[in-house]
Amino acid sequence: MKESLLEILCCPLDKHDLELEDAEYDDEEVVGGDLVCTECGEAYPIEDGIPNLLPPDMREETPA
Amino acid sequence: MAGDQDRESNRDEVARREDVRDTYDRIATHFASTREYAWPEVEAFVDAHARDGVGLDLGCGNCRHAELLAADCESVVGLDVSRGLLETGRDRACERAFAVELVQSDAATLPLAENSVDIAVYVATLHHLPTRAARRDSLDELARVLSPDGRALVSAWSTAHDRFDATEGFDTTVEWTLPGGEPVDRFYHIYAPDEFEVDLADSDLAVRASEVSSGNCYATVAGAEPTG
Repeated sequence: MKESLLEILCCPLDKHDLELEDAEYDDEEVVGGDLVCTECGEAYPIEDGIPNLLPPDMREETPA
Repeated sequence: MAGDQDRESNRDEVARREDVRDTYDRIATHFASTREYAWPEVEAFVDAHARDGVGLDLGCGNCRHAELLAADCESVVGLDVSRGLLETGRDRACERAFAVELVQSDAATLPLAENSVDIAVYVATLHHLPTRAARRDSLDELARVLSPDGRALVSAWSTAHDRFDATEGFDTTVEWTLPGGEPVDRFYHIYAPDEFEVDLADSDLAVRASEVSSGNCYATVAGAEPTG
């Protein structure tokens, strides 16, 4: 993802702003790190360049 | 006791939404390979409403409609619940050299700011949400993220399609057959056209036009605040 995407992204739960933490870059792309809600503190992982902003109860890996 | 039941039904709903995600993760590559072309109804909508702003493909799958938006929009966001489908969207964007920002997300809890989207397509996705409450939430969420002059095209599969006999909306599963012949079930809520209109009318969206075409219900909608 591009860092500029943060301008329109928000926490799926409470719609507050997100902050990028522990970012890993490949050129201008953010390929890793966390998007952390400035209100509730929930951390959403950026997985291989694609942020996972599913609500936490849908994020869990389903058991095989 | 009622609280327990609510929690139980909430767990059940989350499980059903995860099922849809897992199903599309499983069939992603084959599904995407059969979704080469944009729908004509979507092309017509984008032609009529395209603008230089933020485009959203909600339930983007392999990004065939994000690709249409990318021709006009300053930036395009592709949202999908399935990581597998998002990967096929990334491949398509790379092969065809268009720009799309991909985000894994649920259609009923959008991670996008209020008034942030100028044009959106929400096509063939609403019908995968397992409850009416979730479908209504997702329509309200679309209204929230649309800018005051923003427009969206919403579509869902309908009882008007030849393959259905019903005249009222119903829940069903529709098989997807993988190349090896293995069937995979996908959840659908098949909308009756009047039910589709009621759900839209009861949502925060303002309906500007609607039609039934090729067995699907379509509505062109505006965001929450009427702009006159």
